[in-house]
Amino acid sequence: MPLSLVYRQFSLKRCCRYISVTLLIAWAFSLQASSTEETLYLGNSGEPGTLDPHRYNLRLEETLLNDLFMGLTTFSAQGQIVPGAATSWTVSEDGLTWTFNLRKDLRWSDGTPLTADDFVYSLRRLMNPQTAASLAYFMYMLDNAEAVNRGKLPETDLGVYSQGPHTLVMQLAAPYPFLPERLLYPTAFPVPQHIINKVGAAWTKPEHWVSNGAYTLAHWQPEAFIEMHSNPHFVDSVAIQRARYLPFANEQAAYNRYRNGELHAIASFPANELARVEKNNAASLRQSPLLSMMYLVFNTRRPPFDDVRVRTALASVVDQNLLADKVLRSGARAAKTFTPEMITAYQAPPMDHSHMPGDLIERAKRLLAEAGYDAKRPLRITLRHVSGNEEKRVNLAVAGMWRQLGVQTQLQHGTMNAHFADLRQGEFDVAWAGWIGESNAEHYLGLLASDVGDVNYGAYHSAEFDQLIQQARTHADVQSRNKLLQQAEAVALREAPVVPLYSLASRRLVNPRLGGWYDNPRDIHPLRYLHFATDQPRP
Amino acid sequence: MRLPPARYLLQRIIFAGVTVLVLVSVVFVLVRLTPGGPFDGERQLPEAVEKNLRAAYHLDEPILQQYLRYLSSLLTGDLGPSFRSKDFTVNELIAAGLPTSATLGLLAMTFALISGVTIGTFAGLHPDSWTDRLLMALNNLNLATPTLITAPLLVLLFAVMLSWLPAGGADGWLHFLLPAIALALPFSGAIARLCRGSVVDTLLADHLRTARAKGLGRTQLVMRHVLPLSLLPVLSYLGPASAALLTGSVVVEQIFAMPGIGRYFVEGALNNDYTLVMGVVVVYSAFIASLNLLVDLAYAWLDPRLVIAQ
Repeated sequence: MPLSLVYRQFSLKRCCRYISVTLLIAWAFSLQASSTEETLYLGNSGEPGTLDPHRYNLRLEETLLNDLFMGLTTFSAQGQIVPGAATSWTVSEDGLTWTFNLRKDLRWSDGTPLTADDFVYSLRRLMNPQTAASLAYFMYMLDNAEAVNRGKLPETDLGVYSQGPHTLVMQLAAPYPFLPERLLYPTAFPVPQHIINKVGAAWTKPEHWVSNGAYTLAHWQPEAFIEMHSNPHFVDSVAIQRARYLPFANEQAAYNRYRNGELHAIASFPANELARVEKNNAASLRQSPLLSMMYLVFNTRRPPFDDVRVRTALASVVDQNLLADKVLRSGARAAKTFTPEMITAYQAPPMDHSHMPGDLIERAKRLLAEAGYDAKRPLRITLRHVSGNEEKRVNLAVAGMWRQLGVQTQLQHGTMNAHFADLRQGEFDVAWAGWIGESNAEHYLGLLASDVGDVNYGAYHSAEFDQLIQQARTHADVQSRNKLLQQAEAVALREAPVVPLYSLASRRLVNPRLGGWYDNPRDIHPLRYLHFATDQPRP
Repeated sequence: MRLPPARYLLQRIIFAGVTVLVLVSVVFVLVRLTPGGPFDGERQLPEAVEKNLRAAYHLDEPILQQYLRYLSSLLTGDLGPSFRSKDFTVNELIAAGLPTSATLGLLAMTFALISGVTIGTFAGLHPDSWTDRLLMALNNLNLATPTLITAPLLVLLFAVMLSWLPAGGADGWLHFLLPAIALALPFSGAIARLCRGSVVDTLLADHLRTARAKGLGRTQLVMRHVLPLSLLPVLSYLGPASAALLTGSVVVEQIFAMPGIGRYFVEGALNNDYTLVMGVVVVYSAFIASLNLLVDLAYAWLDPRLVIAQ
C-alpha cells in the first residue's frame, strides 16, 4: 500500500529535523576537536592547593610551578639538572659559599627585569614565619635559615645576598653538595616582589599573575582546569602556546577521558588496566621507574619492635621480588636497600645472599624464639597502611609472609592524612610508608637519623648510624660523603628499623602525536619541551 | 485558595534557622574529631613550620573561641579561608562551584520529574496490565541500582565505547547530559512509583466516578482531576528528594570530575579542610531548609486542612 502524502511529508520533515540535530551535535564536537589542536590538554593528579611556590606542599603543584617559574637550576627535557636562571656557579673550597652567575636577559612576564635581588627577596620571604611556608625546611642548609624561620633572627641574617644585579651568593651553615638539585624545588623559585607589594596574597590570581617561567597563569577554575599561556618574555621560545591542566584525583576518570580523546596525556591510570593498555594502547603507554622508596617501618618505641632480633626476623622473610612481580605487577621495582637503585652516583652496601629461602625462615623462627615468641606464644602485630587497592594487596601479602613464622598480623587502614598523622605521633606497631624524592642517598637515609624529628616515624635511634650521618654532613665532596652514607646504610640494613619494599613506577598515557616527551625517573615533563608532531620541534 | 497564615510562616522560618544552626555546630565539632589535620600533606612538616601554619589559621586558639569566631564571621556572610586551597576563600570556591552544581541539580530534577511522572501516570492508568508490570519491573531495577554503578556504566557506554558524549568535565552543555541522567535515574524511579500508586488510588475516588458519569473526557479527567491530586505525594517527596539529589550529586560530580561544590565537599573532607567542609554544609543545609520550607508552604497552599490541623 503506498504511503499517504501526509505521512510522507511528515516523515520527511522529521528526517530533516533529525539530520539537522545530528549535524549540530557533530559541529559541536568538531569545534571541540579543532580547539584541541591548539590547546594541549593534560591530566594532573589533583587540584593544586596553591600556586604560590613558597606555600606549596604537593608534587602535583610542582608539576604546574615548573611550567610557571624557573629557578637557578632547572630540568632538561630528559629530567636532568641543567642551568636555569643561573648560567653557571662556583663553590668555595670549604663548600660553604656558592656564587651563582645569573643570565642577563631574565625578565618577569610583565617585562620587568629580574635580578639577583629578586632571589634574595624570595628566599627571605620563604623563611619569614608570616609566610607559613610548609616546605621552608627544604632550604634550611642556608646559614641562619632555621633561626629566621622560627622568628629568632631577622630575615636579613639569612645566608643569601646579591653582588650586583647578576650575581647571587648563598652562604651555607654546613657543606651541601646537592644544592643544585635542591634548587629545582619551587621553594627556591623567585616570586615577583613588585606585584606582591602591590596586591598582597591576591598575586596568585590570574588577573595579577606575573612569573618568570615559560608560561603564565591565564585562567584558574577550581576543580575544573588551570590554563597557561606562553610567556612572551621567557628566555626561550616554546612550541605549545596554550595548555590546560585538568585535576583528576580519580585515576579512572582520567583514564576514561583519555580513551575518549579528551586529553593528550594523563598523570596515571588504574594499575589493573595495565594489561588492557599494553594490549590495546601500547603506543600511548609510558612507564618509567620513579625515584621513590616504599617501605615498612617498625615502631621502635614499642616492644617487641625495639628488639633487633624481632625486626631482622620479620624483615628477612619479606620477599620483595614477589611483591613487585607477582602482587603489584604495576612496573614497581623490588628494593633490597633503602636507597633507590636509580641513584647513579651512589653504590648501596653489598647484600648478604648466602641464605637460601628455607634457611631464612628457619633462622627467622630461631630469632623470634630467642626473643620469646613461638607457636605457643605467637607474635601479634597490627600492620597499618593507607587505604587503596595496591597498598592493601602488598600488606596482605606481607602478612602472609609473616604467617610462615607463626606471626599473626591484623591489617588496619586509613586515609593518607590520618595515616601519616598517626605515624608522626608514633601510633602504630608496623606501618607502610613511602617517600618520593631526590637523586641522592642522603635524602632517604636522613629519614632514619634521630635528629630529623617525626619523619623518623619509628623513632629509630642508633649512635653508630647517627655518627656516620653527622660525619657525612661535614664533607663537601660527594664521593667521600657517599662512602660514609654507604656505611650508615649498612648499619640500617643490619638493624632493620625499616623493611625496603619497592620503588614505584610512573604509569602514564601520552598521545603518540605529542613530541618531546622523555620518560625519566623524576617523572617530570616541562611543557616548554613538548610539541605536536605536526609542528616544528623547538630548536 | 488562600495563603497560609503569618504565624505558620514565621514558625517554619524559625524552625529552619534553628536546624541550620544545630547542623553547623554539630559538623563543626565532627570535622575536628576526624583523625588527621589540614596540614598533614604528602610531605611532613617540622614542628616550627606547623606552628606557623596553625597560628596563621587560628587553629592554636581554644575550640570554643574558634567556634565563636566562625559563627561571628558566618553572620557577616564570610565562610573563611580554605585551608587546602590557599589561594581562594571558601566564598570564592562556592561561587565558582555553585553554578555547576545548580545546573546539574536542576537538569536532573527536570529529567526525573518528566520521566517519573510520565511513566508513573501511564502505569497507574493501566493498572495490572502487562505494560504496567513491565514498566514497574524496569522501575524496580532502576531503583535498586545505585548511581555508583549506573554513572560509570553510562560513561563506559556513551563516552568510552561510542564516543558520543564527553566522559567528564563541565565545559559545555554536552558535558551535563550524562551526569544529569545518571543523577536523575533513581529519583525518576521513586517518582514513578509514588505517582503510579496515587494515580491508582485517585482513580477509585467518588468524585471521579461522578465526573466520569457526567461525561468528562479521559484526557480532561486525567489532566484536571487525577494528576493534581496524585502529584501531592510527589510534591512532598521533592523536599527529601532535593536533599538526596545533593548527596547524589556528590557522587556524580566525583565520577564525572565536575567542578561543583559536591566535589569540593569530598576533597575538603579527605584533606581535613575544615572551613571548606563547613562552607559546603552551610550552603547545603540552608538550601535544604529553604526547600523544605517551600514544600511546607506549597503543601499548606494546596491543602489548607494541614494548617488548620496544626
